[in-house]
Amino acid sequence: MRRGLAALATLAALAVTTPVVAASEGPRRIVSLNLCADQLVLRLADRDRIAAVTWLARDPELSIMAEAARTVPITRGGGEHVVSLAPDLVVAGVHTTRITVGFLKRLGYRVLDLDLPVTLDAVRAQIRLVAEALGRPVCGEALIAEMDRSLAAIPAGRVGARANVAVWQPNGFTVGTDTLIDTVIRAAGLDNFAARRGIAHYARLDLETLILGRPDFLVVNRADEGPAALATEMLRHRAIDAAIAATRRIVVPTRLWVCGGPETAEAIALLAAATADGPRRSP
Amino acid sequence: MTRVGAAATATRLRLPALGIGLGATVVLLFAVSLAVGSAPVLLAEAVADLLAGRDSLAALVLVEIRLPRALLAVMIGASLGLTGAAMQGLLRNPLAEPGIVGVSGCAALGAVVVFYSGLAALVPFALPLGGIAGALGAVALLYALAGPGAGTLTLILAGVALNALAAALTALALNLSPNPYATLEIVFWLMGSLADRSLAHVWLALPLMLAGWALVVTAGRPLDALSLGEDTARSLGFNLDRVRLQLVLGTALAVGSAVAVAGAIGFVGLVVPHLLRPLVGHQPSRLLGLSALGGAAITLAADIAVRLAGGPELKLGVLTALIGAPFFLALVLRMRHEAAT
Repeated sequence: MRRGLAALATLAALAVTTPVVAASEGPRRIVSLNLCADQLVLRLADRDRIAAVTWLARDPELSIMAEAARTVPITRGGGEHVVSLAPDLVVAGVHTTRITVGFLKRLGYRVLDLDLPVTLDAVRAQIRLVAEALGRPVCGEALIAEMDRSLAAIPAGRVGARANVAVWQPNGFTVGTDTLIDTVIRAAGLDNFAARRGIAHYARLDLETLILGRPDFLVVNRADEGPAALATEMLRHRAIDAAIAATRRIVVPTRLWVCGGPETAEAIALLAAATADGPRRSP
Repeated sequence: MTRVGAAATATRLRLPALGIGLGATVVLLFAVSLAVGSAPVLLAEAVADLLAGRDSLAALVLVEIRLPRALLAVMIGASLGLTGAAMQGLLRNPLAEPGIVGVSGCAALGAVVVFYSGLAALVPFALPLGGIAGALGAVALLYALAGPGAGTLTLILAGVALNALAAALTALALNLSPNPYATLEIVFWLMGSLADRSLAHVWLALPLMLAGWALVVTAGRPLDALSLGEDTARSLGFNLDRVRLQLVLGTALAVGSAVAVAGAIGFVGLVVPHLLRPLVGHQPSRLLGLSALGGAAITLAADIAVRLAGGPELKLGVLTALIGAPFFLALVLRMRHEAAT
């Protein structure tokens, strides 16, 4: 009984103390509620100032910072858990954990909402925004400089006409215009199969449409099969094997282009190198 | 006496005509199924390419995407129609059907465990065998809980419990599996679909399914005898334990392999035998083959309809439930009415 009361009191104390930290020092208890916010927080903030990142940050398929995330606490984004972490800055994505974020905002927590950047300039702006909020503007500029160096290192002007690539993700989803992935494809000097068909954002691409459209290259997210799932089983449909040669499949791991950052340059370089053969020669 | 004789003669005459009619419907719907798809592929052109041995994309779409879909619709529809008729005979209960009484649900559970554990990729035929094991467990349990004479209510209640348990365990198994899409895939296993299936699924399901069909069809005559009562059947020289085992095994093989590649598709096995029974007289052996044809026709038609409906494709089981569930309710109402008078 006494222990229960003590616990209640602690909880209440946690709830009312929204720590106020001088802006120059930056926040000391940072919680990230979004995979892409995780990447930036892990890159820009001091390790001991990170109160929690999402569990997704530890998944090496999705997160470029999986190794670093192993030594930081994780959260699944429940409001109760976040409050118990007593954050002084919560970084969230505009499309994820909205109920938790609304709850935190009502309680007066400082929340930074991150949009999905579409262009490389938007990626730079977002790095700058997060770095400022974390009180680490210099680290932000260094990260942007790292990305720009990698971008500059990509050999420009490839021979041959623009090849046509289709992104083929689990459950048959593809990626169209108005996405960072489309920006990456265009930056690599390629044509996005989905964009050409008027697809914006993410949409399901029908198997028949894909086969008949016959893209020059198919971009998948992993080479192996991964854990058994219907979502990935359909990516290995026999019709695809027959229509698109194994040599015309490019693996771009999800972690390279699901969020914006220096890894975006890596994704562009990978695509440009893998498509150096140019479009399929007409039979 | 003469009236009965005349009715029997009429049925005998009607039977071949009905078989031919249903068979022709299946062939026609099969062709329509091959012609329908999201991409503008001309069936004639694709067939011409195929016959000429040209490796065109149209021929590829026809053979690798549309053909497996049409074949699976026939195979699965026939399995459901056949086993629906067989179960109604075995349990002597007009509401018995693989979906309603939980056999399909348990088959889905068996398939899910095998598929998401990764066993399906390692061991040949593990997927249909998993479905069959689930179905077998369900049929055996049902027979113990609600065998002949137990009454319709007991059977339906047993089915409700089995379905709820199977769905819950399926969700649990999917939740525990290591991939991020598993929870979305529960809809496939509970409602069924033929979208994006391939010829590999046809070869996976066919052998064990054929064995199941053979077991069920050869139990036709004892099933006729059984419809006259157990004592009569025994006095006619049938070994009832063997007949039951044969039907239980056959149903599990056919339904288990069907569900393992396409998920649980409900109500086909209920609707088809009921529509055909008045046309063939109450003789289970005649009903079996016709129900298989009828099931194939209905499943083909439903699978064509989900592709023509537009929007994100509906799951096949959604459509069969939309038609089948009101039919089921009407049956319940009629039975209640008959019981009251």
